[in-house]
Amino acid sequence: MDGRYQQLAWRMTLTGLAVTLIPLWVTGAAIYLYFASTQEESQRAQLHNLALNRSNAVQLFLAERTSMLEALGHVATLDALTSPGELENVLGILNKRQQSFVDIGIIDANGEHLAYEGPYHLEDRNYGGEDWFEETMLRGVHISDVFLGFRGVPHFVIAVRRDDRTAPWILRATIDSDVFTRLVQSGQVGLTGNAYIVNRAGRFQTAPRFGGEILATAPFDPSIAPPGVNVVFREDEHGRRLMTAFAWIASKDWLLVIDRDSSEPAAPLRQALRLELIALVIASLLVGGAVVYHIRQLVTRLAEEDRSRVATEAQLAHSARLVSLGRMAAGVAHEINNPLAAIGELAGLMEDLIDPAFLASTPHAGLFQDNVRKIQLHVDRTRDITHRMLGFARRMEPRHDTVNVNDVAREALTFVEREAAYRQVELVRNLDPNLPIITSDRAQMQQVFLNLLNNALDAVPEAGRIVVTSRSDEDGVVVTVEDNGCGIPEELHDRIFDPFFTTKGPGEGSGLGLSICHTIMKGLGGSLTFTSSPGEGTVFQVRLPRHQA
Amino acid sequence: MATRLLVVDDEEDFLRSIVMRIELRGLAVHGVASGSAALDYLRGNPDTVDVVLLDIRMPGMDGLETLRQIKACCPSVEVIVVTGHGSQEFSRIGRELGAFDYLIKPIRLDVILERIEAATRAGRKRRAD
Repeated sequence: MDGRYQQLAWRMTLTGLAVTLIPLWVTGAAIYLYFASTQEESQRAQLHNLALNRSNAVQLFLAERTSMLEALGHVATLDALTSPGELENVLGILNKRQQSFVDIGIIDANGEHLAYEGPYHLEDRNYGGEDWFEETMLRGVHISDVFLGFRGVPHFVIAVRRDDRTAPWILRATIDSDVFTRLVQSGQVGLTGNAYIVNRAGRFQTAPRFGGEILATAPFDPSIAPPGVNVVFREDEHGRRLMTAFAWIASKDWLLVIDRDSSEPAAPLRQALRLELIALVIASLLVGGAVVYHIRQLVTRLAEEDRSRVATEAQLAHSARLVSLGRMAAGVAHEINNPLAAIGELAGLMEDLIDPAFLASTPHAGLFQDNVRKIQLHVDRTRDITHRMLGFARRMEPRHDTVNVNDVAREALTFVEREAAYRQVELVRNLDPNLPIITSDRAQMQQVFLNLLNNALDAVPEAGRIVVTSRSDEDGVVVTVEDNGCGIPEELHDRIFDPFFTTKGPGEGSGLGLSICHTIMKGLGGSLTFTSSPGEGTVFQVRLPRHQA
Repeated sequence: MATRLLVVDDEEDFLRSIVMRIELRGLAVHGVASGSAALDYLRGNPDTVDVVLLDIRMPGMDGLETLRQIKACCPSVEVIVVTGHGSQEFSRIGRELGAFDYLIKPIRLDVILERIEAATRAGRKRRAD
């Protein structure tokens, strides 16, 4: 493939790849972006629901335990609760379903224990002055923040005040931090998920899974969390991007925090992206390969087509030259043969008429006789030359084949149908199946059809139309080649069959094609005519006699 | 009986020379320079010619037309076409019109005489049949 076709192949390949791969990649990117956006929305909604659910669970946990203590304070008298062994029974009943109460105590208005049941022997402790005690005495119900207390162990208490006729007393219970922490941590998701509670001051009320201990200060200010349940993106102290759900616990001024590494839920998305990329690469390779392969095939075929066309044109021109040469040879031979015959006969007559007495009278008799014979000898030599010339001319003369014109037209059409298909030119065959078989020169007829079809292809625009029609009349067969091309300007009509006249650019046409066709058709005893309207098209009509003259 | 011959050719030197040379060989021969003169001679001298040597390219009536008319008026006469034009087309048409042979100039006299003899024999055989 030479440079011109190589360049064409490159251009077509680049265009082909662009129009196939760009939409493919754009579609792939759009699908990924849509999927990513949907995925993020879904993760956000999931985390929001989880936070809502866990905050409700925490509130329910606190409300249940508070209600249990309140109910106990109302249904049981102080005497009954402080009677020996009673609190032990009560603690057993409270923990029957869930071991969430560590201990329970009855405390009088001075902060002294009236009764205590639990593992820590706190009967002698006085809670007067403690924050939770003061708050409970003041508000009736109190859930404390987590604090170390007398034992130096983080815990929190729920206390309810009961107002008796004599004096108020408090029912106080310590909540199992582990049970509560497990409840909160059930909101942890995945390998890096974190769920914990901080109070308004930013201290951990449950131990976080990572990044701190209970009662340590959280690395963010809880006031950034808006009221209600919210999901936000934020960075932790290590610069990791977190998707965090904040949920305020309404009954206690606590903030439930559920963190998720934003890259962790994106893992399936990354996997999807990897799969999509692999699919896109495979699809691109397949599409690209197909485009490259087919365009190379197309351009190779086009190059072969062009080569074959150039070869056909060269063959046509060569044949035309030979036909012209044959005619010239025949003309020259004829012009020479007549005087040569006269010379030969004149010399022969001289030889016949030589008088022996004349020969005896001259010393040049031998020379005279020799010259007469030599004249005849040279006539013979020249005759051989002219007869060879006539032999050559005869080989150029039309043959007399039995021809089905439709077959010749179909053969000529097969030569051009690939180029027509490439240029999207419609080739219409209106061939009369009842054409008579005629006597003519098949090869020369094919040259004419091929030339007319090539001219029509050059004349029509992209997606044009060429109609080849055959019919018969009483004189013979008529074939027309009609195109809807540019037409032939009227001022050129007289010159169209002139040798070397062409409207094509330099190097594109010899200007011999139609001249040769015209000459061939005359030689076959037929005719070649045309009608043309500029801008509408041209119809060439080939008329062939039934029997060649 | 010696062959009676009519030579038709517009080339004067050729016509005169060949007529004389054939005469020298004992044949009865007459020369004319055109197709119409040949027809006139044949019509004016019926049954006096066995073979016609006929050129093709002649001014006025050409050789092929002359041949057609000779065959129409004197079918017993054999015609040998002798021309400088070696076209197969002329050869084919000549034979179709009934020419005995088609010879291309220049041609040696002995070959011409041979063909004249053959044409004479063929003509006589045809007449006898």
